[in-house]
Amino acid sequence: MRYFLILVALAVISCGPSQEQKDQAFEQSLSQDSLGNLPPGVNDEFVERVLQQIPSPLEVSALLINSGMEYNPELLNSTDNLPKYTTTFKRALAIGAYGSDLYYTSLYGMNKDELRLINPIKTLANDLGIGQFFDMATIARLAGNRENMDSLLMITMQNFNAVNQFLQEKQRSEVSVLMMTGGWVEAMYVLLEAYSLDPSHDELREHIGEQKIILTHLMLLYPYFEQDKNIGNLHNHLKKLKSAFDDVEIISNFKESTVEIINGVGVIKDNSTTTVKITRQQVEDIRTITGELRNYILN
Amino acid sequence: MNRLIVILFFFFAATGVYAQCNPDAYTSACVPKLADGFNFLKSYKIDGQGGQKEKIEYSYLFTKGTQYMINLCAEGADTDGIVVSLFDGARNKIASNLINGKFVNQLTMQCNATGIYYIQYTFNGSRNYCGGSALGFKK
Repeated sequence: MRYFLILVALAVISCGPSQEQKDQAFEQSLSQDSLGNLPPGVNDEFVERVLQQIPSPLEVSALLINSGMEYNPELLNSTDNLPKYTTTFKRALAIGAYGSDLYYTSLYGMNKDELRLINPIKTLANDLGIGQFFDMATIARLAGNRENMDSLLMITMQNFNAVNQFLQEKQRSEVSVLMMTGGWVEAMYVLLEAYSLDPSHDELREHIGEQKIILTHLMLLYPYFEQDKNIGNLHNHLKKLKSAFDDVEIISNFKESTVEIINGVGVIKDNSTTTVKITRQQVEDIRTITGELRNYILN
Repeated sequence: MNRLIVILFFFFAATGVYAQCNPDAYTSACVPKLADGFNFLKSYKIDGQGGQKEKIEYSYLFTKGTQYMINLCAEGADTDGIVVSLFDGARNKIASNLINGKFVNQLTMQCNATGIYYIQYTFNGSRNYCGGSALGFKK
């Protein structure tokens, strides 16, 4: 029994310092600018629930490739912009954008562009104190080989999910919100620019309209953090974009689904539908404002 | 010494050490088990705290034109009585992995209605109340 008690004591003692060391770089990184002084009282559970709903930019890239849209490297955020990102605010937005670009290049199998994105992501992750979540050696190795695409996407997705969980546990959800925003705006920009080359593509236009749901959910989080001047300004930009979506209609029609087992898998037949009503002019307005917003956050 | 043992007993009972659930191990195992062609999106921890917690719920925005897969991992090859149910944003039940009295550990859906969906985990005859799950998609 004595040995049991000693083991328990050792286990309790051993938890403290290692966790402290793990968090030190992160805390230091945040104390250097205005985002280190946000007020308490954020509803963490609500923020976590909304953040987990936001879809990955990977889905937009998959839609583009599936729609037959060609890869366009000019749409990527330039890696030359990296020195501009000197605050937590800018870094969090930029790492989200580069992450979105990484999904885009990976899915199209553009290994050279993939590799070019590794350094900015690594630098920004270290500056944000979340470098421990990115095993850049493994990511760089996978990025160099087309056959490793699935593994690379999986690891990158796991890394970003782990970072978000860590930030929420540390009650620094605003950094997660900014990363999500950066990633979403970048994916939105690529989607809109791709659509502008083929405005007859109805599926892409509908998907642009559906982004209203994501923007609405993302904006639910901003009132918690807008006491920070930078976040307040960004919120105003998002409000302008939201107003461009105001007349976009998403009509839902629920019908009971059915499910059957096929080869051991439960296959659901979804009988519900949604219809998106969005005009080309509305898309053009959204495109203009998204371009301005992207310029604001990344340049 | 006896008093210390009693104190430790109540400490561990109160802090929930009872179940020793490690959902991370199950989520890690579950991610690579998504069927071929599906890209991983999210992993979800399922810790029913030894039966004290009746349900665990997550949510995600599903998009029309996309096929989603939710899989489930628990002790052994079966689902250990873990039920995953899918609800739409208006809380209409879409389906669960308990189909005609039989558990399956993979559910798939070609989504026709964009919106927030709730992925809810409950327990029906579970022994460990512990597992992991992964969400993937393909276009």
